[in-house]
Amino acid sequence: MAFPYQHERETRVLSKGWGDPRTRTLDGWKALGGYEGLTKALGMSRHAVINEVKDSGLRGRGGAGFPTGVKWSFMPQEKTGPHYLCCNADESEPGTFKDRELLRWTPHQLIEGCLIGAYAIQAEHIFIYCRGEFFEAVQVLARAVEEAYEAGLVGKNILGSGVDIELTVHSGAGAYICGEETALMNSLEGRRGLPRVKPPFPAAVGAFGRPTTINNVETLCAIPHILHNGGAWYRSFGTEKSPGTKLFCVSGHVMRPGNYELPLGFPLKDLIYDVCGGLREGHTLKAVIPGGSSVPLLNQEEAEGCELSYEGVVEAGSMLGCASVIVMDDTTDVVKQVRRMVDFYAHESCGQCTPCREGTQWLARILRRIEQGQGTEEDLVTLRELGDQMTGTTICVLSDSAAAPVSSSMEKFPEEYHARLRARDPVGVV
Amino acid sequence: MSERSVHRPQEPFRNPGWAGNSGEFELTEAELRGDDYVGTRPLDGGHPSGVSTYPFMMADKAPEAPLFEGAYLVRFEKIRGRYPELRAALLPTLALAHEIRGHLSPDTLRDVAGLLELPEAYVRGVASFYTMYNMRPVGRYLVQVCTNISCNLCGGDQVLAAFLDHLEVELGETTADGEFTVMEVECLAACGTPTAVQINSRYYENIIPSDVPALVQRLRTEGV
Repeated sequence: MAFPYQHERETRVLSKGWGDPRTRTLDGWKALGGYEGLTKALGMSRHAVINEVKDSGLRGRGGAGFPTGVKWSFMPQEKTGPHYLCCNADESEPGTFKDRELLRWTPHQLIEGCLIGAYAIQAEHIFIYCRGEFFEAVQVLARAVEEAYEAGLVGKNILGSGVDIELTVHSGAGAYICGEETALMNSLEGRRGLPRVKPPFPAAVGAFGRPTTINNVETLCAIPHILHNGGAWYRSFGTEKSPGTKLFCVSGHVMRPGNYELPLGFPLKDLIYDVCGGLREGHTLKAVIPGGSSVPLLNQEEAEGCELSYEGVVEAGSMLGCASVIVMDDTTDVVKQVRRMVDFYAHESCGQCTPCREGTQWLARILRRIEQGQGTEEDLVTLRELGDQMTGTTICVLSDSAAAPVSSSMEKFPEEYHARLRARDPVGVV
Repeated sequence: MSERSVHRPQEPFRNPGWAGNSGEFELTEAELRGDDYVGTRPLDGGHPSGVSTYPFMMADKAPEAPLFEGAYLVRFEKIRGRYPELRAALLPTLALAHEIRGHLSPDTLRDVAGLLELPEAYVRGVASFYTMYNMRPVGRYLVQVCTNISCNLCGGDQVLAAFLDHLEVELGETTADGEFTVMEVECLAACGTPTAVQINSRYYENIIPSDVPALVQRLRTEGV
């Protein structure tokens, strides 16, 4: 169970029904005001729905933080064939565990958000792409989908509006890269999950060659609330540039890890020391990864001064990503943990681009050598060079993501690396 | 030099009072683990548009069983109807074949390729890209321990070692009695409850090394 705690400083919008099995049902969701946002949306023009979402300032929760309403407005206005909406539920960024809870506690929240999105972009078919391991979540969702079909909320002529929207839950089969939107579409089409070169962007040529929008689970789950209460209401939370609430997934060395829903702009220091109950007794903070394994590390000083908004985390020297806060205390072996993250990227690289396919393997091998006390000064130089060569040179950002923790940890914790280097080369050994 | 001794081994760490016993939610362990859900599936595959893939990592496997007959054929037909292209049915169809036979043998891949009118090599290429499909037989219980960063910080490595030691098996190998295969797995998206372990289609969370013997015993007697 991964949400498990509540805190009085939370603002529960998306996570309101968590922990109560009743919210998994249609009746339970309706009791919380469910499907009122959909009813309202169907009574509005598509244009008005998109404008409401634009007004809310909602930014994509999958990591990039692109404004959702703007993304929707990229879809062609004139419909010449099918449009698709894909929901990205391929949650697999290390440290992230919010979508699983959204899926398994409030499946109707997601279905409602998907329907509103599909209506706005004129999509006739929604595909929810879940990661393969989410068997429980998919089955919770499966029951909700059946219920929604029976209640006439999905399918032909939804709620008597004359709009037809089909919904299919599709499962992946174990590939981190399928969380990248173009790889997700390839995987959905029954191919290997290889990211595509952009442009063309999905809004022009997406799944099955048709205009497609891909949104994260958390983004779509916020939509019903925005339609129900209005964009201005949503803006009352968070900061000017990062409106709304966000689920923060806190893991690692804190006393009360879990998902906490907080307004954006919340201080990271308070999240760790107050909301999450601080570190284990007798330990001090060493490093924090604020947005999942793909973003640069922060040291103690940077972390304690960091404000958790898209712009605030950038100012502190990292990125908000999907707000997966990984907390490390003074027992942490930084080199080992960075090596573990790099092993992950080496395992998950799809192998299309040379800098990533080769680079991730090189990083992993060199870091393992350093971890085992066999590294040299030259290895550190090579790591830096590799980081440069792997950034901005590939189709997707997996390569950049692998390099980020290495470069940032070398910059912020140089002593961890230097302490592990081989004292000097033994004479006569090459 | 003493500088190296800075790196103390990380002791396994279970967070105090997780949902199972913190009392903040009135839930049973079965509800927390999703027992009501994992393992159930509509035989006919549910609504024509609904859900394509159900749990396919089963304890009981029938490597020689016929593919796509009776109820399975009905499910396949529904899967096929869910996508605008036949090829898109490939992943769910592989999962269905996996559910029946327990792994994807070359024969199984050939059958799937024939059914979906795809080249056999293409199907093999796709199947081998994804890590959840077992391309060779595994034990009744496939134990996958997450050792990625969040679990690792709280002792994921030691949990993996505890499984290997307790079952006396090498990483990726199956016990002599054919019951358990132990593997390492990448992040399972259960980082708030380290260490996360996936056994067949179900998650076990908040596992520390001392839990392992009882968990193994429970699997032996009660199943997943």
